[in-house]
Amino acid sequence: MTPATALGDPAAKKVAERSEGARQERRLGLLLCAPAALVMLAVTAYPIVYAIYLSLQRYDLRFPQQAHWVGLANYGAVLTSKFWWQALWVTVLITVVSVAIELVIGLALALVMHRAAFGRGTVRTAVLVPYGIVTVVAAYSWQYAWTPGVGYLAALLPEGSAPLTDQWQAIGLIILAEVWKTTPFMALLLLAGLALVPEETVRAAMVDGATFWQRLRLVVLPLMKPAILVALLFRTLDAFRVFDNIYVLTGGSNDTGSVSILGYDNLFTALNLGIGSAISVLIFLCVAVIAFVFIKVFGAAAPGGEPERR
Amino acid sequence: MPGTRALRSRWSTAAAGLLVLAQALTGCGSSGHGGPVTLNWYNFPDDSGALQQAADRCGRQSGGRYTINYNKLPRGADGQRQQLVRRMAAHDTGVDILGLDVTWSAEFAEAGWIREWTGAMKEQATADTLDAAVRTATWQGRLFAAPYNSNTQLLWYRDDLVPNPPGTWSEMLAQADALAKAGKPHYVEIQGAQYEGLTVWFNTLVTSAGGSVLTPDAQAPSLGAPAVLAAQVMHDTATSAAADPSLPNQMEDQNRLAMESGTAAFELNYPFVYPSMKANQPELFKHFRWAPYPAVLPGRPATVTIGGIDLAVGAYGRHPDLAFEATLCLRDRGNQLTNALKGGLPPSLRSLYQAAELTASYPFAADVLAALDTASVRPQTPAYQNVSIAISHALSPPADIQPESTMADVRRQIQDALGSKGLIP
Amino acid sequence: MSNRTRTLTSWGIANLVVVLYALFPVWWIVALSFKEPSTLTDGDFIPRKWTWENYRGIFRTSEFTRALVNSIGISVIATTVAVVLGTMAAYAVARLRFPGKRLLIGVSLLIAMFPPISLVSPLFNIERVLGIFDTWGGLIIPYMTFSLPLAIYTLSAFFREIPWDLEKAAKVDGATPWQAFRLVIAPLAAPGVFTTGILVFIFCWNDFLFAISLTSTTSARTVPAAIAFFTGSSQFQQPTGSIAAAAVVITIPIVIFVLLFQRRIVAGLTAGAVKG
Repeated sequence: MTPATALGDPAAKKVAERSEGARQERRLGLLLCAPAALVMLAVTAYPIVYAIYLSLQRYDLRFPQQAHWVGLANYGAVLTSKFWWQALWVTVLITVVSVAIELVIGLALALVMHRAAFGRGTVRTAVLVPYGIVTVVAAYSWQYAWTPGVGYLAALLPEGSAPLTDQWQAIGLIILAEVWKTTPFMALLLLAGLALVPEETVRAAMVDGATFWQRLRLVVLPLMKPAILVALLFRTLDAFRVFDNIYVLTGGSNDTGSVSILGYDNLFTALNLGIGSAISVLIFLCVAVIAFVFIKVFGAAAPGGEPERR
Repeated sequence: MPGTRALRSRWSTAAAGLLVLAQALTGCGSSGHGGPVTLNWYNFPDDSGALQQAADRCGRQSGGRYTINYNKLPRGADGQRQQLVRRMAAHDTGVDILGLDVTWSAEFAEAGWIREWTGAMKEQATADTLDAAVRTATWQGRLFAAPYNSNTQLLWYRDDLVPNPPGTWSEMLAQADALAKAGKPHYVEIQGAQYEGLTVWFNTLVTSAGGSVLTPDAQAPSLGAPAVLAAQVMHDTATSAAADPSLPNQMEDQNRLAMESGTAAFELNYPFVYPSMKANQPELFKHFRWAPYPAVLPGRPATVTIGGIDLAVGAYGRHPDLAFEATLCLRDRGNQLTNALKGGLPPSLRSLYQAAELTASYPFAADVLAALDTASVRPQTPAYQNVSIAISHALSPPADIQPESTMADVRRQIQDALGSKGLIP
Repeated sequence: MSNRTRTLTSWGIANLVVVLYALFPVWWIVALSFKEPSTLTDGDFIPRKWTWENYRGIFRTSEFTRALVNSIGISVIATTVAVVLGTMAAYAVARLRFPGKRLLIGVSLLIAMFPPISLVSPLFNIERVLGIFDTWGGLIIPYMTFSLPLAIYTLSAFFREIPWDLEKAAKVDGATPWQAFRLVIAPLAAPGVFTTGILVFIFCWNDFLFAISLTSTTSARTVPAAIAFFTGSSQFQQPTGSIAAAAVVITIPIVIFVLLFQRRIVAGLTAGAVKG
């Protein structure tokens, strides 16, 4: 949509104005972005490039003199390793299930936070507390809660069962810990999105006789779509890189490790910089694919699009 | 829309402000002044005050030549190693003395991150010191660290449930079984989680059965029949009535908690459980006893894995002579005794185990010394971390171990680990 | 009136459910922080014996207090700078046309996606060389950098939804550009800005990996890293009581921060009144 132009201006002057205006706009845009762009580039350019460079070498930190170029051999080693595929499968499972649950619960929380008739401040603050607690501490509290004989949650389970030691049960508990911890993140973004849904539209729908669910499905959710997609995008990117909860709850044992734990182990414990960096780059590629899917297929608000003038 | 010029000036002000801020923030932390050299000692965190006391004492004893700055590392061994590795790989000149776990010496030595001990210093570092401890600090026949404190496991049991402590694992499992049938607390608490403690358990069992994990030259796995026997013992323990349901998730502290909660009859753990039981469960403490670690083969006493810390001198520090001297002071008799009494760290000097002050608060000192004199060490190779992970991954959960096939699996993975090939789980 | 009572009751129940869901496990941590070492394993949800010893213990030395000061200072500064820079960039991305826009978005997403474990060691090396290792600046800069992508994305998503013509309408009505910005745009931008502020603050507050890798003494160590240095009575004992007490203490600033900010998130609804 082009801005309305004043009537009667000669065409040439109009073109000149527009191009001068466009130039000013470009300059302003670049200026405003410059600080952020500079900071991001200055800090991360070397580390990211270095990490990619390392992934192409066989480099064990304990034998630095033996470092040598191997091209894509590290990637081959990772992609043919059963540990990688096992970790990838666990990661995908945790990501999909936890994000789906978080979306539903997050939406419900956002609605309560938005429309509560009273005690809004309390509810909103209470909801954000889980997100604000240091992750490893929350994970420790879950671990204690589920340890038989020690925890109040384990006491609810049949005698003798130790859920953290069984692969599937442990994964379920990890998902539970993840969901409890990060649903507030979803809820917060969805709340802000809810706040931008115009009251009149919703009221108009109510006047037209729409039920709560119809209003939700046909009016509120479509208007919230940009916010939902941003929330989903960032939450999925983060869920894929789940680390803290698994590290504390099971340490990755019993095949509950995610790709991040695999990368951590190979990088920091085995000091194998080549393989560890290759795993990191592969994680990044997986995450990039997810982002791509979100942006292209679901049309997540890619802010690089044309600015809408309403 | 604000004019571009106004915006530009606003931006440059902000940038200038940021620069000033950055300079102010980096201005702190400067050092450098005439006077005694500051040696930086990086060690596990100790809140009892024992280590700080040792650092202060040694600084005073130096006669003004150096002071020792005790820097704490994270509580977990993995965190400590990460920090040390990161700094040494960056050739950090600010690390003079390192407190290394006994399994890291080969790795750090091979990477050139710690200095060798020779001559008179070496004599002093090894005098009156436990053999097993010296072995942990040795790599390829050369000494790379001075043993600091030691540690090993004993069998702890309740004498109201167990009148006679078992001598072998089969006896212990049988006794646990009998207790289970009588409806009494019967668990055998042992570290079964997928971590270093599991490797320690396995190493103890293999060496007790007369074998070893690696060949003497540390180039290939040894394993063999003793390893299969060890795996069998672990499998039997995990599948018998003696197994705590949380066994696959338990570390030393969880074992202690379970014992203190009264559900267990036996515990294989380090001596830290003794003062803890005394403080937390005075009732149970009345029946709390200890015995040597159960054997695997009747007639062949167990060779328990040694633990502890060795002190090494950083390769990039600027004052190695002072660092060697300071290290010898930090581990001298007086300081080790203080560590033992205040910090609960068993010493690495033999003669201290007969000292009256020690036996007063460590009634089990004689048994600990006996265990340490026959102790086994974990595989000594720079690739130890990989080997350990290969072992603990294959043996986890212990209930799923199939002795023959699991050992074949471990053999393959150790072979790969020694060559730094492939991924670790 | 019974209709209203019914609505209030159902909201009351909904509120209660939400608060319980959020705070149940938090109560467990609080309970752990008040338990004596001997009762840690009894699985009681409400401690039988209460003690302040855990709290006394963490404040006995100045280490934890220093860590708190570090955390607050570093998080506040990093959040402020990140939100300012992010707002500027997001405004540009949402409203203006200029070359390299897609590149900026792509690069910032790339940074948000790259696993930080690989970046820690190179960052450590850079900071050592520059001399900012173990300083506030050494943590502020990475925190800013890694929260900028989220900030830019969130803010631009919200800025896109703002009806910018309202600003023009206000100016036509006689307002100065500053008045137009303050009375019309700012309230509409507030939800996005404060949401971003909360998210960035929590990210900086809770970060562990950078905090433990880029600091080595109490001069810059933040609370999550400091917890890793807590000791129990021996090297094997986990100082559960102290960790729980520390967790409670460091959650309080978050609660305050959130309480202050959450009201602003929904504050910008009145903009529709300008329509006229």
